[in-house]
Amino acid sequence: MIADSRLAPRRRLGGTAGILLTGFCSALAAGLLIVILGYVAIQGWGAINPAFVTQLPHPVGVPDGGVGNGIVGTIIIVAIAAVIAVPIGVLTGLYLAVYGRGLSAELIRFLAEVLSGVPSIAIGLFAYTICVKPFAHFSAFSASFAFAVLMLPLMIRTSEEAIRGVPTSIREGALALGLPDYGGVVHVVLPAARPLIVTGLLLAIARVTGETAPLLFTAFGSQFWELNPANPMAVLALQIFTYAISPYDDWHRQAWGGALLLILAVLVLNVGARLALGRHGKKS
Amino acid sequence: MLAMRTRINRPAAATLVAGLVVSAGLAALPALAATQLTGAGSSFVYPFFSKAFYVYSQAHADVTVNYQSIGSGGGIQQFTAKTVDFGASDVPMNSDELKRAGGAVVQVPVALGGIAVTYNLPVTVPGGLKLTREAIVDIYLGKISRWNDPALEKLNPRAGLPNLPIVSVHRSDGSGTTYIFTDFLSSVSKEWKDKVGTGKSVQWPGSNTVGGKGNEGVAGQVRQTTGGIGYVELAYAMENKLSTAQLENKAGKWVFCTASTVHAAASTKPNVSATDFSIVDRSEANAYPISGYTWAFVYENPTDKARAKLVRDVLTWVTGNDAQKIAASLNYVALPETVQDTAKKALAEVKV
Repeated sequence: MIADSRLAPRRRLGGTAGILLTGFCSALAAGLLIVILGYVAIQGWGAINPAFVTQLPHPVGVPDGGVGNGIVGTIIIVAIAAVIAVPIGVLTGLYLAVYGRGLSAELIRFLAEVLSGVPSIAIGLFAYTICVKPFAHFSAFSASFAFAVLMLPLMIRTSEEAIRGVPTSIREGALALGLPDYGGVVHVVLPAARPLIVTGLLLAIARVTGETAPLLFTAFGSQFWELNPANPMAVLALQIFTYAISPYDDWHRQAWGGALLLILAVLVLNVGARLALGRHGKKS
Repeated sequence: MLAMRTRINRPAAATLVAGLVVSAGLAALPALAATQLTGAGSSFVYPFFSKAFYVYSQAHADVTVNYQSIGSGGGIQQFTAKTVDFGASDVPMNSDELKRAGGAVVQVPVALGGIAVTYNLPVTVPGGLKLTREAIVDIYLGKISRWNDPALEKLNPRAGLPNLPIVSVHRSDGSGTTYIFTDFLSSVSKEWKDKVGTGKSVQWPGSNTVGGKGNEGVAGQVRQTTGGIGYVELAYAMENKLSTAQLENKAGKWVFCTASTVHAAASTKPNVSATDFSIVDRSEANAYPISGYTWAFVYENPTDKARAKLVRDVLTWVTGNDAQKIAASLNYVALPETVQDTAKKALAEVKV
């Protein structure tokens, strides 16, 4: 109160206005998110039923039908992308955190940063050029490749930070107990960094799950059950895109249902990542 | 502490490993027994193709057709890159595109459809808004810029047209629909032909004009914009219950975009071909002035004869009566008999 009374009224007014403005913008941002989530939920809820998540898409005029193949396709493509991106991302992060020095490390960090800014459609075209065109065949694998490239910068960054966060004293302790250098890294440092790395992986998966642009010329889409990554495959995000631009009410309804499924999946991944991170934070 | 962390993350790690094992297992499964053909292109024809190929697969257990709507331009490109077994576009490939295809191409008409002029006005126009061909040109040129323009009031004396600016909506992406629409505008007006021309995407001249991506984008823009006018394929206008305008055709008769008026336009050119395909602005009495065909492409000398034969069989069925009945039920117009014959003759040229 005493401090307040000494302030010039103009400064107090400015301060209040600033707080109100930031508060208003925060409310606007949060409100917008809630409106989007709510709108998708309202529009999509009616479309979701057991048939929707288990059946194949049906053409116009044939009732029912679902996006079961798109859900399976999304899981397969993201899983393969993770198999590619995790080892490369974690080992690069390890190099940067533990061994990388000077120019080479800076260069790798810089390139990873640049990579994270490349539009996903450009990465999709890249995947098309090296994974589709030479074989004259669209494939789920080419989509996984594009997704892996998209996940990589995030994996590298979170891995590096996770490993850097493990105190050097722990690694030194391992060395003091007679473990060789690689043993210390493999048995002590990496396990300690794992919660954060898993968090990073979940966020990276959430990041790519909703991507549509890189899929157009890679996974291509399919109306059938397709489990072979060498063939074109249905993907949920792609199905939403196709349905949304169609003229038919039934397909619009299914597009909303698919969008709701995607948002729920990304929400679960994000909350999962948050939980993993939160527990880790508490314990250490 | 380390033990604690390990325990916490075991479920996550286990889930990941399980996911990988499952997906690896799935990946190892043999592909489905049926041969899968792929096609890509025109989004206009997608609802028809998806229904038709679904019906076809039910009768032919050994073949499935995976058609994806990536747009007419994309269809030509992927066909040329040989990543698909056939392509589809709402405009035939032109000579440049054919040169790039690196081999003789057989072009087959597979579907017929009309393009409706839709509008959004705060008043209901009894019997539908009436527009002459010249009025449409002037609206898209920006010469008629308000709904209560005398030219429009004269055509719709009892409509009570409001004093509102006209917002003309066009396709922002390269589109066969735009090609057909601008082909119509060019054939009506020399000024349009000289200033703007015909193409899958053009430089739109009006000052109060907005773009929408795809038919859905244009339909959405018109629905949202009071005073908006746009062109969409008939299926989109019907399914979205948009108001469609009555157009005065070259013969001076007022026609709506319907199956019979589009059919009348198509009947005026029984011998349609990939180089002479335009059926806009025909002088027949009942002809609707804005309509066109979708074309499918296959190579004349395919390298994989077995696949090519399957593709040929599918397309032969698609251009036949059974499939065209499906098209008619989805707001397309069945191919006229003569065009069905043209399609069959073209497909017979494929050397399998």
